[in-house]
Amino acid sequence: MVSIFSLAQNVINLSLVQKLHATSVWLWKSLSSGGSPTALNETVPAFNISLTTKESPCVRSANETIMISVSIPNELILEVLSRLPAKSVARFSCVSKLWASIVYRPYFTELFLTRSSARPRLLFALEEDGVWSFFSLPQHQNLWSHVVTADFHMKFPPDNMRIYSHRDRQFSCGYASGLFYLYAMLIKKEDYNGVPVICNPNTGRYVNLPYLYRFRQCYSFFGFDPIDKQFKVLFMAYPSSPDRNKILTFGTGELRWRRIKCSIKHEIVSEGICVNGILYYLGDRDGWGGFYEERYVIVCFDVRYEKFKFIYLATFVDRFINYKGKLGVIFNDHYTKDAKELRLWVLEDVEKQEWTKYAYTLRYDQFFSRIPFVVGVTAMGEIVLSMGEYTREEPFYVYYFNPERNTIQRVEIQGFGEYHKAFRNHVYTFVDHIEDLNYVNDAKLLQPRIYAPKEEEEESEEGEEEEE
Amino acid sequence: MSSNMIMLKSSDGASFEIEEAAARKSKIIANMIEVECVDEDKAIPLQNVTGNILALVIEYCNKHIVDDDDDVATEEASEEEEEAKKKKVDDWEAEFMNSMSLETMFELLLAANYLNIKSLIDLVCQTIANNIKDKTPEEVRKIFSIENDFTPEEEEEIRKENAWAFG
Repeated sequence: MVSIFSLAQNVINLSLVQKLHATSVWLWKSLSSGGSPTALNETVPAFNISLTTKESPCVRSANETIMISVSIPNELILEVLSRLPAKSVARFSCVSKLWASIVYRPYFTELFLTRSSARPRLLFALEEDGVWSFFSLPQHQNLWSHVVTADFHMKFPPDNMRIYSHRDRQFSCGYASGLFYLYAMLIKKEDYNGVPVICNPNTGRYVNLPYLYRFRQCYSFFGFDPIDKQFKVLFMAYPSSPDRNKILTFGTGELRWRRIKCSIKHEIVSEGICVNGILYYLGDRDGWGGFYEERYVIVCFDVRYEKFKFIYLATFVDRFINYKGKLGVIFNDHYTKDAKELRLWVLEDVEKQEWTKYAYTLRYDQFFSRIPFVVGVTAMGEIVLSMGEYTREEPFYVYYFNPERNTIQRVEIQGFGEYHKAFRNHVYTFVDHIEDLNYVNDAKLLQPRIYAPKEEEEESEEGEEEEE
Repeated sequence: MSSNMIMLKSSDGASFEIEEAAARKSKIIANMIEVECVDEDKAIPLQNVTGNILALVIEYCNKHIVDDDDDVATEEASEEEEEAKKKKVDDWEAEFMNSMSLETMFELLLAANYLNIKSLIDLVCQTIANNIKDKTPEEVRKIFSIENDFTPEEEEEIRKENAWAFG
């Protein structure tokens, strides 16, 4: 059972820290005003603890720009710049020629990637009327930060284009290794058919993929092969439709849909996730060529070798997550009146189909309203849960559940409201967003191109046999 | 005072007594101690650090050496206690930095760099980064007294390239 008391305790600890801090402020002040400083720890009279600063100097500096009088060597400038978000780095490349030369150096790009890998971010994608907005913030939150404001990246798509609503039966989205995939983008207002699009959630640079005719409902997934560093989009056809499974490699050469075969007929019943070069989603075989005791199938698609593997299950899976580089499977079941059991299986070995199984009890009163969605796991092993909807009337929370210690830390995320008019927005939350200046700067990779519609309907070119 | 104490002297002549273990957080001072160029009762002169900044450095080192000592003393400490302690240090660091002006932060960064205290360099750099991340290029130029050496055309070009960062 989970016993939660950390929230109340946090508050107490916090006020204690503030008092302690007052001591250091006092000390610093007394020293800088010319006191004779010796044996620091003994000079603090207890009654000075009440002396708190109402407004810190840093808060003031947000409004008025302070000029510093010391001169900072370039290597320290570089150290500071490497710890900024990518957006600030790009903006500060306009400061001077020297600063531009610092941030465009490959050495800096590498250093930046090392640093940003050590401090992954939570990425939020909010939808409103076919326009998405992206926000992010550091994934690791200190105890003292109960309320944090997310950094706004940008809105997508630009130029009055629109994305299918997330309620559309053909809508899909996916996140892989810094890039975001959406199906589908309507280029002109009057368009009926949209094209798949890949965008950089930091810069808004994008590329739209060739239109793919679909007769019936279909699902598409976005994967990344970390060895060849290639992104791929996989379209899985509805089993009884004349559509075929298609795949497209993004990043090298011509963008072209290729046919790909899958030996098992199944309906797609989940969103996809790409973990370490393998794309996973849930299929349902029931009624497609028979009825099965293990009707569900976890489809494992190797992005690099483009091969399918299947893991059969009797129960429905609620969500897939990236569990420290392995597939994590979430089952939401065993509800009681005031709690539910969260079951998490981690796929240790795809070949042998070995699982490590965990079960945790989450009480409803530990959360603001509904139990939020599990969206991932931090490097420290904390399970990250996020609300799935943002409304103007309620705070938006992300929770860090530490299974070993049975504690939950709640963090309120602010800043969405400024960019949204609607009362209610659908929110997708992704963990481990790592900013990479290589993608950010690579205007070549992401260039909007308009492809002629239905260009790849010439199936005969492929010269392949039908699947059946 | 015990024999484990050493004396540091700032550029403006202020003397600070500090535990040797705390002073060793600085690679430079640790080196000086290693090669025995520190006399029993002689102070180490630090020409590049003023008294008020050295006081901050010492406050930081004292705080962190106490934590290191605790770790050794309570090897059996439960994971929860470890975590609580780590969070306490995080909180302390946040409050410590929050009490400073940007000017002080840069002076502290120079001192940490000169004394070679890596964890303090990390802390100060990250705090400065958090402080300036939302600023405009103009504000940054002002803070660092940097002259804009782009021609208007060049600046327009580079701004256009990075237009997304100005939204």
